[in-house]
Amino acid sequence: MTESTAAPRPAPVRPVPVPDERSAGYWEAARRGELALARCAGCGTFAHPPSTVCPHCHTADPDFTFVVVPGGGTVRSWTVIRDSFLPGFADDVPFVLVDVELDAQADLRLIGRLLDGTAAPLHQGDRVAIAFEHPTADVAVPAFRLEAVTP
Amino acid sequence: MSGFSARSRVAVVGYAQSPIVRHADRPLGAIALDVARSAVADAGLRVDQIDGFTTGALLPTSGNHAVVDGVSVVTSNWLAENLGATPRYVAGFQGFGQIPGAVMMAVNAVASGAAEYVVVHRALHNPPSGRYHGNPMTTAPGAMQWSAPQGFFGPLAMIALPFNEYLQRYGATREDMAAVVTEARANGARIPWSYWHGRPIEPRDYVDARVIADPVCILDCDIPVDGVAAFVLTSAERARDLPNRPVYVSGYGMGNPTPGRLGGHWTLDDIQGAGRVVADRLRDTSGLALSEIDVPQLYDGFSPFVWWWMEAIGLCGEGEAAAFCRDGGIEVAAGGLPVLSGGGALGNGRMHGVPQMLETYLQLSRRAGERQLPSATVGLACHSSANYGGAVLYTADPL
Repeated sequence: MTESTAAPRPAPVRPVPVPDERSAGYWEAARRGELALARCAGCGTFAHPPSTVCPHCHTADPDFTFVVVPGGGTVRSWTVIRDSFLPGFADDVPFVLVDVELDAQADLRLIGRLLDGTAAPLHQGDRVAIAFEHPTADVAVPAFRLEAVTP
Repeated sequence: MSGFSARSRVAVVGYAQSPIVRHADRPLGAIALDVARSAVADAGLRVDQIDGFTTGALLPTSGNHAVVDGVSVVTSNWLAENLGATPRYVAGFQGFGQIPGAVMMAVNAVASGAAEYVVVHRALHNPPSGRYHGNPMTTAPGAMQWSAPQGFFGPLAMIALPFNEYLQRYGATREDMAAVVTEARANGARIPWSYWHGRPIEPRDYVDARVIADPVCILDCDIPVDGVAAFVLTSAERARDLPNRPVYVSGYGMGNPTPGRLGGHWTLDDIQGAGRVVADRLRDTSGLALSEIDVPQLYDGFSPFVWWWMEAIGLCGEGEAAAFCRDGGIEVAAGGLPVLSGGGALGNGRMHGVPQMLETYLQLSRRAGERQLPSATVGLACHSSANYGGAVLYTADPL
């Protein structure tokens, strides 16, 4: 038996995060629409992503807790992904990724999709606010939106 | 002073390299055996004299390709076993900057007496099927959960962010990079073993090339290949009795460790900071001023690395490399700095720091043939970026 019509192409599947003991608080907060960052119990600084050891005070027992932060930040760089090595993004290209220094802490950087589209003018120093996208019904991934454009 | 007692005590005494091709018609391990045997013979030695092996065997891809020793990678252990050697010292460098990493371990082994004759090799593979960096993952566990869910994945996005950060900070343009890429291809086009032999490009080819992750276009990236190179290192004393003019390892430096960030998130500040660290370590180990380098072979697996290495070692000031290159400063045929005289990775293929080490060795041993530079006394072979790599400083005479 042969197929008379080509099967419809399955929708691309973006990689969804698999939360673990170290990251669960981050992804739970994202589902609530909040950005939460891991804070070291020893020195009080944020680490992203959280690792076994605090990158600031180097304690091996950072006992990270997730603390909600406002999520605003400053654009340090960006790129337009026109051809993704992840097939799950085939229907999303081209899209903008922004490298953001969060207000929460100097040099604390987060990379996310900019949801304003590829035509939005961008400059170093532009202000962005945290946003969330939902690749599936029960997953929220932090992203950004432009707050204001530097003249 | 550094107390770097290995300075000029270890020398490169021979080499061999396979042709660089898109897909070899023999397994990578078979090519590696041939190349290692040829390198040992070039050094005037026998395989049974080789008692040390080092490499960095990483398959440098974000794709989901199988890692099979002897097929897609070649470790030092595999090479030694299959050569029938009985080495006292076998070590693999873990991490990026595989060429300086493996050379450092070989130097340390010879200087300490752990081995007398060490083969340093690098075998690179281009998987025969599937996209080189493509990965059909639908879940992102572990480290990948912090970056893949938002589509930040793979080395082109990785390099696009600091490349654009540089353009924005210093007012450079993507078009300025044409001078780097055309220079690599012009020199590679003259090298018989290069994948790009006979195929130079024009600036217009670069400007019109397909952009994949702004500002990175396809010509900013070296092309994946199959290829193997091997070098033989021994002590300066033993080198005197061997046929080739020795080239001395007189310093080295790596930039790691670098700040923990999302996987693959390189910032311009991290790169520049690590560049200063590498430069300091090179000065410290060699005792030389870096202005004495006359064969600066800069890594170019992605074109912006060239700018960053130029600034790190002081060939120009911070933020000046784009204009320096645009104005002909690295055009070797016009008397510019020979930073890509060996064609680099952009002009040879993805040989991961081998073109830089090979050109440095050939120039300083005066084996570079028609590419021989009039002044070749102090060479620098860089690999990767300073924040995930480093460089080895070579001299034609012991310091």
